[in-house]
Amino acid sequence: MKNIKVLGPGCPKCKTTYQNALEAVKQSGVEAEVEKIEDIMKMMKYNVLTTPVLMIDEEIKVRGRVANVNEIKDLLTE
Amino acid sequence: MSEQTLIKEICPTTTRDWLADGALLVDVREVQETEALAFDEADMLRIPLSAFEERYSEIPKDRTVVMACRSGARSLRAAGFLANHGYDNVVNMQHGMLRWAEKGFPVKGSEAEKARKGESDCCSQPGCC
Repeated sequence: MKNIKVLGPGCPKCKTTYQNALEAVKQSGVEAEVEKIEDIMKMMKYNVLTTPVLMIDEEIKVRGRVANVNEIKDLLTE
Repeated sequence: MSEQTLIKEICPTTTRDWLADGALLVDVREVQETEALAFDEADMLRIPLSAFEERYSEIPKDRTVVMACRSGARSLRAAGFLANHGYDNVVNMQHGMLRWAEKGFPVKGSEAEKARKGESDCCSQPGCC
């Protein structure tokens, strides 16, 4: 199962990215869990600077902007 | 402001004392924000968060560094980044430019006059989080 993390302090862009990740998982049929991480200590552990950040299996894929559904689907099936 | 223990946080008043004692202020806000309203401090660096990963090595490791932004959120992440990259003397200025300007501390830029009167809307624009 893939692990998707959306890191950010909960701003509108973070929420949109999180919803897009849920939709991408649904549309792609890939087995994945989606986590929203708003805890500052965890964000610091991952050296998050600009937000939101999208990670897949502990690898940063998108940072500082909203990732759209199709983009996330492509990343899931890479 | 945040439940974290990695980075010490100080207020704008304490920040001014530290700057007077030789600490370096690092502003991580984006260019359009700093052009509108900037800390009027002679000895400081401006490294936008969007360029921080490439430029953080411009920050000296042998000085105490106070990180700042609009509200203290972005600067806290930048401070955490520095702590994870070998910087031992990094603190975060809580409440950022919002509180600094509110306190009437030195500012400059196109919004400075308004900020001094507490009217600046520059601080109300979300510089993102």
